[in-house]
Amino acid sequence: MNKLILGRYLPGDSIIYRLDPRGKFLITFYFIGIVFLANNVASYGFLLLFVLFAVYISKINLGFFIKGLRPMLWLILFTVLLQLFFTPSENPLWHWGIFTLSTDGMRIAAYIFIRFVLIIFISTLLTLTTTPIEISDSIESILKPLKVIKFPVTQVALMLSIALRFVPLLIDETTKIMDAQRARGVDFGEGGIMQRIKSFVPILIPLFVSSFSIAYDLAIAMESRGYKDGEGRSKYRVLSWSKRDYMALVVMLLITIILLFIRSY
Amino acid sequence: MEIIFKNVTHSYEANSPLEGLGLDDVSLTIHDKKFTAIVGKTGSGKSTLVRHINALLKPTSGTILVGDREITPETNNKNLKPLRKNVGMVFQFPESQLFEDTVEKDIMFGPMNFGMSEADAKKSAHKMIELVGLGKEYLDKSPFDLSGGQMRRVAIAGVLASEPETIILDEPTAGLDPVGRKEIMDLFKNLQEQGRTIILITHNMDDVANYAEEMVVIHDAKVKAVGKPKDIFNDRSLLTDDILTLPRSAVFAQRLAKKNFSFPQLPITISELTTEIKRQVHGD
Amino acid sequence: MENIISIKDVTYTYPESKKPAINRLSLDIYRNEWLSIVGKNGSGKSTLAKLIDGLIESETGTIIVDGQEVNEKNIWEIRSKIGIVFQNPDHQFVGATVEDDVAFGLENQGIPRDEMVKEVDAALKMVDMQDYKTRDPQSLSGGQKQRVAIAGVLATKPSIIIMDESTSMLDPNGRKTVLDLVKQLREEQNMTIISITHDIEETELSERIVVLRDGEVVQKADPKAIYDIGRKLTNYGLEEPFSSQVAYLLKDELKLPEGYLNEEELIENIWKLSSKM
Repeated sequence: MNKLILGRYLPGDSIIYRLDPRGKFLITFYFIGIVFLANNVASYGFLLLFVLFAVYISKINLGFFIKGLRPMLWLILFTVLLQLFFTPSENPLWHWGIFTLSTDGMRIAAYIFIRFVLIIFISTLLTLTTTPIEISDSIESILKPLKVIKFPVTQVALMLSIALRFVPLLIDETTKIMDAQRARGVDFGEGGIMQRIKSFVPILIPLFVSSFSIAYDLAIAMESRGYKDGEGRSKYRVLSWSKRDYMALVVMLLITIILLFIRSY
Repeated sequence: MEIIFKNVTHSYEANSPLEGLGLDDVSLTIHDKKFTAIVGKTGSGKSTLVRHINALLKPTSGTILVGDREITPETNNKNLKPLRKNVGMVFQFPESQLFEDTVEKDIMFGPMNFGMSEADAKKSAHKMIELVGLGKEYLDKSPFDLSGGQMRRVAIAGVLASEPETIILDEPTAGLDPVGRKEIMDLFKNLQEQGRTIILITHNMDDVANYAEEMVVIHDAKVKAVGKPKDIFNDRSLLTDDILTLPRSAVFAQRLAKKNFSFPQLPITISELTTEIKRQVHGD
Repeated sequence: MENIISIKDVTYTYPESKKPAINRLSLDIYRNEWLSIVGKNGSGKSTLAKLIDGLIESETGTIIVDGQEVNEKNIWEIRSKIGIVFQNPDHQFVGATVEDDVAFGLENQGIPRDEMVKEVDAALKMVDMQDYKTRDPQSLSGGQKQRVAIAGVLATKPSIIIMDESTSMLDPNGRKTVLDLVKQLREEQNMTIISITHDIEETELSERIVVLRDGEVVQKADPKAIYDIGRKLTNYGLEEPFSSQVAYLLKDELKLPEGYLNEEELIENIWKLSSKM
């Protein structure tokens, strides 16, 4: 459970860490969008170089990013193989039943693979260098206009940040309960489907019970510290947009222009 | 069952950039039918150590022998039930493991997982509920209607019901009031006297002095000292490095030693302390 | 002495329970005193704390805090005068980092940001956690988390601090740092401290001890008078103080004065006896 790299923050310091989280958040989504504009060797290669450069200046070991691919491995493999053997072609290299192997297929499979790498690397870069609370701050900030239509942005943001805060605690709690039940003779992942589902009951019930008790304690603690309903609160945490954040946006603009030039129409 | 650790190392998230050492080349023998206390600061590796005894964790290198059962890095998850039946484990705040709709069913859960028949498990539940100091009238209640202290006792009964030969206790009395604490500790001492091996993780040095025959000090993932509590609490090198604190009787004796008393060996229990005071007041 | 809290004839029964957790309880708490509330698990100690803060509502009687009755209308003002540090360090940490958590109470009061920054720094300094300002709770020990919780409470400058078994889940080291901190705060600031505990040694620092059993006050006196109860303290789920246990075992052969002696007095007396011989 602790092996998931995607979604985890890694304390550190570099220019990427210091960028405003709102900017990072938007740039990540923007980048995922423009990945779909790439359509030839040059454009994919260019984007890959850009991502590797970003990883380099983040001062984070490339190993983390490669590990980030792991949970998605089966999906990647499946999609790549699908493209490799099922891309229709005029002049196949090899043909057997419904399977077709062609240079086109190979090329498209390679593109798909690079696309996965790009998207996973850039999202991993966001989560490794941005604390969950910064992400939730960014979401609050980005959603702010919705206040006009009475959407409870502040409350939702607080909820999100508390939820994020309790993820590690609940993971610890789950590990502990699982250990306790394994010590009482529960075998996870043994027997048939029904058996397996049943073996999770002794985990889920205690987990619900402790989540509720944590929630109750937390609600009492928050209330005792004067939390009413989220309105009339001031904010301690502020995000500051600086020159380097404008620079980052300019870089993204340049990337887009170059990409548009080197992609084929 | 004798428990032997041979050069056991455990690293968390091995081969990842976040690797950390939980146990560092630990070799140790925990004797059969003894009451052994494991002490050390928070995060020193005590819990990691005991989780190897029932293979909840596996060593990164080294071997653990539990009776004739061998646990190595290659041990797979199949066929661990006989081991876990023999090594019962009471976790910190064990009340969080309760889940059945009656106390009786919850106590029977472990034994039945280990292959005990329903009738035998029921018999065991009836015996254990009394042993932990709750009456049979609790068996039909929902565990979630009980107080925290009662839930703790039910959870302990649930571990004892499988009749393990070795019982591992991870701070079993944390958060209980002093009277409840003493009752629980006396219960475990009784079980040991009936022939069980007890391994207790604790921060309470008075409990170590009063109940344990052997003591293991863990510091920074390593075994720092093993021996009889009396010898270890008299080992000055452990005290000066702030690895270990003393039982209250020993602290009291140290204060008396500043007057005209002398203790070649610090007393660690209150009866040792008072006997020695009487001897010195009358004697010389 | 002036009352800061006066509780009159208060009863509270938990929804799922038949027996009241607090039963027709009356108690006066004096301004600037350090009061210990002790008793078995389930004697009603924590329930009482929640009633004082208006976190649960009493069925009978009244509670007056600093001249104001605890009711719907006054509740927020009363809560701003009381800070509670709860038992489980993990279940009261609201913020994602130390500084965010300390700021939480200030944010609730709508304090402007530049003022908050100063208050947060000052509060962290008081508990000696300023070096951990940007750390996340996962990286702190239990004792450090409780110190942050105390800072969060101090930041809003309450006149009453309730420690609701705040040290019971800590290891001896953590417990010591938290207690030393409370002792120091007590000396430096004018505050009423209500400490709920079942550790008899913790009560030594207080001026008065109230013993609860089944939701009622059964004893109320200064520590020395409570410790004089001796062996029978176990009836209230408490341990006899260590020096009393030692004295009890010595009394058959050594002539010690009657009544409770603290460790220092006991050592002094034993020493006198030995030099006479």
